[in-house]
Amino acid sequence: MALPIWILLYAVSHPASEWIAFHLFRLTPKTHLGEAVAFFFFDVPKVLLLLTLVVFIVTFLQTFVSPTKVRDALSKRRAGLGNALASLFGIMTPFCSCSAVPLFIGFLRAGVPLGVTFSFLVAAPMINEVALGMLFAMFGWKIALIYAGTGVAIAFISGLLLGRLKMERHLEDWVQDALKAPSLGEIEEERPTLSNRLSLALQGVKDIVGKVWPYILAGISVGALIHGFVPEAFMAGLLGKEHWYSVPLAVLVGIPLYSNAAGVMPIVEALLGKGAALGSTLAFMMAVIGLSLPETIILRRVMRPRLIATFVGVVALGILLVGYLFNAIL
Amino acid sequence: MLIEVFGPGCAKCQTMEKHAHQAVEQSGGIHQVVKVSDYAVMAARGIMSTPALALDGQVKFQGRVVGSDEILALIKG
Repeated sequence: MALPIWILLYAVSHPASEWIAFHLFRLTPKTHLGEAVAFFFFDVPKVLLLLTLVVFIVTFLQTFVSPTKVRDALSKRRAGLGNALASLFGIMTPFCSCSAVPLFIGFLRAGVPLGVTFSFLVAAPMINEVALGMLFAMFGWKIALIYAGTGVAIAFISGLLLGRLKMERHLEDWVQDALKAPSLGEIEEERPTLSNRLSLALQGVKDIVGKVWPYILAGISVGALIHGFVPEAFMAGLLGKEHWYSVPLAVLVGIPLYSNAAGVMPIVEALLGKGAALGSTLAFMMAVIGLSLPETIILRRVMRPRLIATFVGVVALGILLVGYLFNAIL
Repeated sequence: MLIEVFGPGCAKCQTMEKHAHQAVEQSGGIHQVVKVSDYAVMAARGIMSTPALALDGQVKFQGRVVGSDEILALIKG
């Protein structure tokens, strides 16, 4: 029932945005301000509508996966296959950074190797399922596939590498104790019905859209400024593929920027529109979504500084490689 | 009954704790709500995603904020 309304709203959002910018505000098309305002009013309904649909579908699908199921599938797996599975599971598993610590310990307790656990911990935030859906909806399947594929590759390789480094002794003491402590009981999984799943999906839309809209407005504002005011030559020069520094620059700017996956999309849209190279833009997006300061601080609770530094370093290196790779081949 | 709410203290966990208190109030009975934020305890109880909620020692929900109506239904059993 909601679907026809959604389609209608989506269809009128483009003409409506031009009407608001050029008639209501009497701005001239092709001027800086006019284009920026039109971008803003076009993107706000577009991104919010797409987000609603994507979150609904994703949350519905996620009711079929749970960290417990993933843990059971990964326990006792050897490096290699285990890392590959963990990276793939990371795409779909519902994951919030405040669950990072219990999940980390839960995996290790069940006999999931440290390297495999790391593959999952890299993949889960980096390949954000909402970002994936938004990329598909806004830029097509090719860019979505590149994003997912490179994310899986980074998670696979970093986990493999971190597993080889034998860093178990760099876990905090209380974690080592918690790993040996006896179990106080297993948990029975909930078994939702179809209508449970649909109402969970609706709840997800309410929660997520309700929480991220300020990030989206902020992202669209930045995107609109880039779209309207930043000259193409400038952006192509800064983030173009011919400069070696464009990828590290994108990563450095991206790491401290903590935004929501959906909030970055309008910025990505504007960057690509202004001639920034795909590799640099991808690196920027992955740094914003995958390497976030709050998650690093949370993980510091379980890992000693050496391990956490290695973890962040390996992932940042992976993102850099992806950036260079795509700037070179596209 | 003993209601335990597990979570490190993020916004979702606080909402869940509030819902637990609301459910107890609505039930009209005497039940104890305890907040557990020790990761080592969560690990031993098998909890892998927060917030989680246990009733009389049995973990019933994990990984999502449960409404006070659902908790109330659980208390009334």
